[in-house]
Amino acid sequence: MEKSKNVEWEVKNSIGILTLSNPPENYLMEPEFIGVEFLQSRIRDEKVKGIIICGAGRHFSGGAMLNDLFQMAEDKDNMTRQLEKGKTLLDYFEYLDIPVIAAIRGVCFGAGLEIALAAHLRVCSENALFAFPESNYGLIPGLGGTERLSEKASFPQTLKMILKGDMIDVKEAREMKIADYIVPDGEVFDFSYSLLKRMTEDRSLKVIHYVMRALTNTKHLSLPEAMKEETRMFCELASEEAERRNKNEDN
Amino acid sequence: MSVKYNTITFELVHDIGHLILDQPPSNKMTIDFFSEFHHLLDGLHSMEHLKAIVISGRGRHFSAGADLDQLLSLVRHESQKNSGGETVDLPSFLEKNYKTFLSLEALNIPVIAAIRGVCLGSGFELALFCHFRFCGEDALFGLPESTYNLIPGIGGTSRISLLSGKSKALELVLHGNTFPAEDALGFHLVDKIFPKKQVVEMAIGFAEKITTSYKKEKAKLYLNKLL
Repeated sequence: MEKSKNVEWEVKNSIGILTLSNPPENYLMEPEFIGVEFLQSRIRDEKVKGIIICGAGRHFSGGAMLNDLFQMAEDKDNMTRQLEKGKTLLDYFEYLDIPVIAAIRGVCFGAGLEIALAAHLRVCSENALFAFPESNYGLIPGLGGTERLSEKASFPQTLKMILKGDMIDVKEAREMKIADYIVPDGEVFDFSYSLLKRMTEDRSLKVIHYVMRALTNTKHLSLPEAMKEETRMFCELASEEAERRNKNEDN
Repeated sequence: MSVKYNTITFELVHDIGHLILDQPPSNKMTIDFFSEFHHLLDGLHSMEHLKAIVISGRGRHFSAGADLDQLLSLVRHESQKNSGGETVDLPSFLEKNYKTFLSLEALNIPVIAAIRGVCLGSGFELALFCHFRFCGEDALFGLPESTYNLIPGIGGTSRISLLSGKSKALELVLHGNTFPAEDALGFHLVDKIFPKKQVVEMAIGFAEKITTSYKKEKAKLYLNKLL
């Protein structure tokens, strides 16, 4: 297990576990809460097939500390740089070619919610609470939260959540399509872990990568283009499978 | 009027086309099936009175999907001949298939899948390109491709992502497990569940009620009004 910047990274049976660890609320010390290069090398070297992002203790993350934020804002260039790094990290998660699950208990606010929205699946505790409180302080979400929320929730729902800045419970989060699974509070991590395990353990890395790529394509390509690409990947996998079967017959 | 292929039967009754996947028990989608399906769709344009198409499977099942051994043999032996005597290889075969599915979806008449029993792999993909999906309470769905080290090959990932959202699509495609009608309804992958003996009948009744000014973009509206 490695500890840096109030984050812990551990790999268990090819599943990477990223724990936001600054209890009790797991406030984030900086937007790039873990280095992209660090993650890249770990995922590659340890042949990670999926990632769970969770919080230490009872909460996911309360987001950024307001005081830190205003302190950072004193140097505008630095702040821009920091936010860009944070955005790069969240984009990295979103476009990662292995599945990322956010396991959410307790509070999931601001930048914490932005991290959760960059994950591919969200498993939530019955007691989880979500909010974008930024507008209460004359701010807006700074790490792509507005865009990612509006991809899932309707326009009025997004607007209300960001402008009002109120907390919502898991029921409302489900209606806004940001809570994919709701489970008892004590089971959030185990549920996420076994879900990810079921999805990845008998799959080759290549199949996982191609499924992720096919899904990303649906967002960026037209349907005919996405299907063409899907066909190309299918043919490649089919050739390999046919070859494996040939070999088995020869033996 | 009726057209009988080796793998498909198409009957026109009161201007509604009953397209039956006709290789029971599992109605597997062979190379010949795709070639005949393509041929049939090409011919539909000349049927002026055709008002709707209802696709169902002969017997207890919709379709168990593609014939995997046959597909892989396309790779192993480079190419094969279909029933029309044309030589096919895997990339051109798949490309033709997805173009056929896209042209099915592009039809300006209602296309309804009436699903009983198993509806797997490319059988499910075919259903996903229909404008409406009605199913029996016994229906069983799934994209098991990943369990064979493959991915869905004819647009299944895109269609599920569109209907159920990216998160659910990721789970269903990667996991490859089968799931029952009730779950499919919850994932927005089917529009309505009926007792299994009534599915085809209900699909035909629904098709008859849709007016000639059909617009597939209004699918939800028809469902709310006519069911």
